[in-house]
Amino acid sequence: MRIRLGKELFEDRWFTAGFVLAVFFAALTLFGPLLAPYDPWNMSFEPISAPTVEHLLGINDGGQDIFSELLYAIRNTVVFGMISGFVALGLGVFIGLTAGWFGGLVDIILMRLADVLLAIPAIMILILTAALFRPKPVVLALILAGFMWPTISKTIRAQTLSIREGLHIRAAKQMGGSDWHVIHRHLMPELFPLYLIGFAAKCRMAMFMEASLAFLGLFDPSRKSIGMMISYAMKYYYLDIWWNWLLPPIACLSLLIMTVTFLAISLEKVLDPRLKNTLKERAI
Amino acid sequence: MSLSIDRLSVLYQENSHAIQALEEISLELNSGKCLSLIGESGSGKTTLALSCLGLLPKNALIEGKISLDGRQIDYSDETSINQMRWDRMSIVFQNGAANLNPVHRIIDQVAEPLIYRKNLGRAEAIVIAAQTMSEFGLNHDECNRFPQQLSGGQIQRALLAMALIMDPEVLILDEPTSGLDAVTKTIVANVIRTARSKNKSILLITHDLEFAVHNSDTIAMLYLGQIMEKLPSGDLFNSPLHPYTMALVRSYPAMNTARDLGGIRGDAFYRTMHQHGRKKGDAYSHIHIQSPDYEHESGHAPPTGCIFQNRCTQAVDSCRTEPVALETIGDHQVRCIRHGIVSLLSLKKVEKKYGNVVALRPTDLTIKAGEVFSLVGETGSGKTTLAMIAAGVLKPENGTRVFDGQDMDKWIRSDYKSLARQTGVVFQNPAESISHRFTVFDAVAEPLKIHGLYHNEGESHKKVKEVLSHVHLSTDKSFLGRYPHELNMGALQRVSIARALVLNPSLLIADEPTSSLDPSVQAKVLKLLLDLQTELGLSMLFVTHDIGLARKISDRIGVMLQGQLVEIGPASLIIDRPTHPYTQLLIDSACGLSPAFSHPGPDVVDNHGCPFSARCSRVKDICKHKNPPLLERDQRLAACHFPLILE
Amino acid sequence: MIDRITHSAPRWLGMVIAFGLTALVMIYLSYLLPRLLPGDFVTSMYSSSQVTLTAEQETELRAYYTEEPGFYRYLARLAGLDWGYSYAFLTPVSTLFFSALPWTLLLLGTAHIVSMFIGFVVGVETAWRRNSRLEKGMVSFMTILEGVPEISTGVILLVLFALHLEWFPAAGANTAYAELSSCAWLIDIGHHLVLPLATLVIAYFPGNFLLARNSMVTVIKQAYITTARAKGLPARRVRYAHGARNALLPLVTRFGLRLAFMITGALVVERIFSYPGLGTLLFNAIKARDLPVIQSVALISSLMVLAIILGLEIIYRIIDPRVEYAH
Repeated sequence: MRIRLGKELFEDRWFTAGFVLAVFFAALTLFGPLLAPYDPWNMSFEPISAPTVEHLLGINDGGQDIFSELLYAIRNTVVFGMISGFVALGLGVFIGLTAGWFGGLVDIILMRLADVLLAIPAIMILILTAALFRPKPVVLALILAGFMWPTISKTIRAQTLSIREGLHIRAAKQMGGSDWHVIHRHLMPELFPLYLIGFAAKCRMAMFMEASLAFLGLFDPSRKSIGMMISYAMKYYYLDIWWNWLLPPIACLSLLIMTVTFLAISLEKVLDPRLKNTLKERAI
Repeated sequence: MSLSIDRLSVLYQENSHAIQALEEISLELNSGKCLSLIGESGSGKTTLALSCLGLLPKNALIEGKISLDGRQIDYSDETSINQMRWDRMSIVFQNGAANLNPVHRIIDQVAEPLIYRKNLGRAEAIVIAAQTMSEFGLNHDECNRFPQQLSGGQIQRALLAMALIMDPEVLILDEPTSGLDAVTKTIVANVIRTARSKNKSILLITHDLEFAVHNSDTIAMLYLGQIMEKLPSGDLFNSPLHPYTMALVRSYPAMNTARDLGGIRGDAFYRTMHQHGRKKGDAYSHIHIQSPDYEHESGHAPPTGCIFQNRCTQAVDSCRTEPVALETIGDHQVRCIRHGIVSLLSLKKVEKKYGNVVALRPTDLTIKAGEVFSLVGETGSGKTTLAMIAAGVLKPENGTRVFDGQDMDKWIRSDYKSLARQTGVVFQNPAESISHRFTVFDAVAEPLKIHGLYHNEGESHKKVKEVLSHVHLSTDKSFLGRYPHELNMGALQRVSIARALVLNPSLLIADEPTSSLDPSVQAKVLKLLLDLQTELGLSMLFVTHDIGLARKISDRIGVMLQGQLVEIGPASLIIDRPTHPYTQLLIDSACGLSPAFSHPGPDVVDNHGCPFSARCSRVKDICKHKNPPLLERDQRLAACHFPLILE
Repeated sequence: MIDRITHSAPRWLGMVIAFGLTALVMIYLSYLLPRLLPGDFVTSMYSSSQVTLTAEQETELRAYYTEEPGFYRYLARLAGLDWGYSYAFLTPVSTLFFSALPWTLLLLGTAHIVSMFIGFVVGVETAWRRNSRLEKGMVSFMTILEGVPEISTGVILLVLFALHLEWFPAAGANTAYAELSSCAWLIDIGHHLVLPLATLVIAYFPGNFLLARNSMVTVIKQAYITTARAKGLPARRVRYAHGARNALLPLVTRFGLRLAFMITGALVVERIFSYPGLGTLLFNAIKARDLPVIQSVALISSLMVLAIILGLEIIYRIIDPRVEYAH
């Protein structure tokens, strides 16, 4: 089944587009520091200069090479997104499975908790925390994950509930399979598509948050971030920095988020069992 | 108001292939009449219903025409069709609650057509709707509920009320009774009856044969998008003409037959074809078979030829290649190259004497392809004689025998062996009918040897093993080498059946195959015979003295007494309400009751009188002098001057 | 026993209780947190901003944060709109809040309503024309557009229409210090509203569209739509009373879920266009490290979101009878 899925995925244009972009950005993330021609914190260059061959995107107001800045910034955003998405996924799957599998009081409590967390605007807490405690970005990523797991856990829980009643589970249990065996061999593989979809969606949200928080100036000023670059660039809009300083970060941010959006949407289309359109639907 | 469907064909186009849902369907729905369309899933019945209302999806290619009252409906004109919908033709779809919008109350949905089609005010429409629904037994409370709060029966009633709210002329009911209680069934039947009295036309799509027979005038059998037979409803159970109809009836658990369910062997074709720029009016290109979910193909459907041939009990080679159309036979219309169910064996006026003793009086017997016919009678009734004459073993004094359209006597004279291949016989005592010198293998392979089909050792081994597995016997070497005395009677009888089947006969004759077996074994062997009959499409002539046994296995029964048939007819009818007193006696004895219409008396009887007159309690003078002829009564043949007809 | 309790009470009661508890917890946290911070955070609070405090103000501030009025008095004060004093802006926090709130409501409210309405209608109509070129094109276009974050759109619109073409003002909600008649004043507000509104609508619209379309596509396949068509009802009724009505339900649910995250975008947009709403207020307060303002804005807006979500849940129950009447 997995092999066929792979083929189906690649036939979807959105997936190929997303995949290509993802590979591109992955490369930038991994090799960013190596590709950067200069140390981005090096403030020795002439501020606000136009692009040249040596400085592909010119120099910002602090005398730093914009291109190198951008590479480091992309990496920060991607890492933030990955961490946050991953942790949110882990939490969501664990809590969703537990709630769906055990049911009863456990389920009620966990889902109420999820509802509460969903109602709280994450941005506010993040702003408060960032402003008050000035923590490391990783901490903020984790806090964000703490707000993103509820939606994942609800989907996982719903699917767990419906699979749990399936006959093949009953058969496995009748054969003597333990709870762990059932979860491990039957449930997890069924939920696999939901992991991918959930991760892609949350990663996207996290990257967006990172950019917004940086834009609002809530990170350490020395941390390179796309949002921060845009924020600074906008201050000098009256100068002709549109093409080299303002546009690249905007374009990169948009492409990054588009990448994950494409992946998320195509995964949802191909893998979501509820949206399957089969021949049998049409009555004969 | 009449609905006329003329050569309707519907093709669904997928990406690279097309699925033929309906092919050249022609039906007439006349006013005041109800037509039942019977078909299994995949036959195209819902497509037909949807086509009438113009509700097919956009990827459907439609040819042919549908006319209401003689005027053709133009399905490309959306406005006029919308006018026609519900007002002149309405439908009750299957699957109950799914057809109602879960967020609107049912009374709103029933009143909706009145508001938006007839422009009535909402209050007025609700009143009318409530009144209609109350006629269907839905009270005020229930009317105001949402679909998910109602039971299946209530929903069906609401759907019926909704369909009739604009008083249409044509009503289509798609599986209106499946999964519903008896009360709702009665309501549906009432709706049909009332509608008929108001001269409406009704199309009833159902797989409930009983319901169809009781509530409609004509029945059309739909198989894989083609109509296989059109017949008057009364003929469905007892005289269908198409093999598919017969097989389907046999698969149906009816209350008055006790014959175990048969089913139809094989799988239906899946009719798809590859699209190569096919335009309207193009001839169909090659038809592939494709089961979209499975990797293997279930067989190639012929581009022409009958689509039922892979499951038919009487298919011949030309069935695969000859085009076949509906033809009129009597008051049926049948789509069969062989013009309906053929008679496999037809004996006319055969008689047998041994010196002065009359073993068999002039008798007619017909066995149709694919059916199980049981000859029931006491010892000496002549049933074995008749069976052996049918097998070609005994030669009758007079009379003609026709097997598969050919004169048997001529056939026997010219080439007995080829006839012998067509008939397999299972005798009463397996221990005696198998040589004690032969091993199992020898016994089963003997026919192959006799007919010179034993050239290739490997091939024949395969054949023997194949046929042994059909009768659920082991196929390993040790078993093949066993001798009859090493086996129990049940296994031995199975070997005997295997031997009878090894040449792929079309007729299996079994002479008291289970009388010498223990009851538990008897049951298994009978079940085996039935399964074989379904699997291999055999016709069977079954000889027994036990009418209870015959009831369990036969389509038709012939009761014999003193060398002649006294009653022949469909098994269900004969058991349910026998017309000949002797039959009644047999049934009563089988039930353990003291016989109703007989008293003991001398067996010797005047050759010219009724053979039962000595024992019959209803005997009159005429019975002693005149042998009653077989006359048609109540859908079967009975030979009695004073038959037991229910008054 | 727990089962019986949870089954007998009216369903919405549980929800109200849950939300009420959440609200209380949030308020408590905002009461508690500053008192957990290290002692002289007050000193460092404004230290990295351009605000300097007089000794008097500092004592006042310290007193405010170290006093122990008790939670109930805190609640009472909150209810009485006494939210502290901002030393960066030298005004009571509540004044600041209520002068910024209307602008945010105007911007966000209009953006949400417009994008939901247009997104829904376009989504429904597009889904009805399934497999046409229009549908495929729209879906592709919207998918791409969904990937463009508010920051990008905002900056592009700002630079293009405000700075280069100068069709619209680049900042503010209205022209400062202008004495305008009420009619001209409204037009002026509208003029300033266009770009930020456009940014938000462009950001929200694709999501709503895709959601509406997907939901509608599922609904169209249902049997009751075929029945509605068979009844010969006018196409518009089938599409809306039967189709869209049912497609609406998942939209409402998911809208609530997304609400908490949509605020982020609004903040960013306000900052880009220097729109004097809560977002800009928050941003400036962050820059000035003005804790009382940050705290209050965060808390009050969270409470507002909570209330809106609760409202949505109630609305959902009303429009979907399956929830109320489920067996």
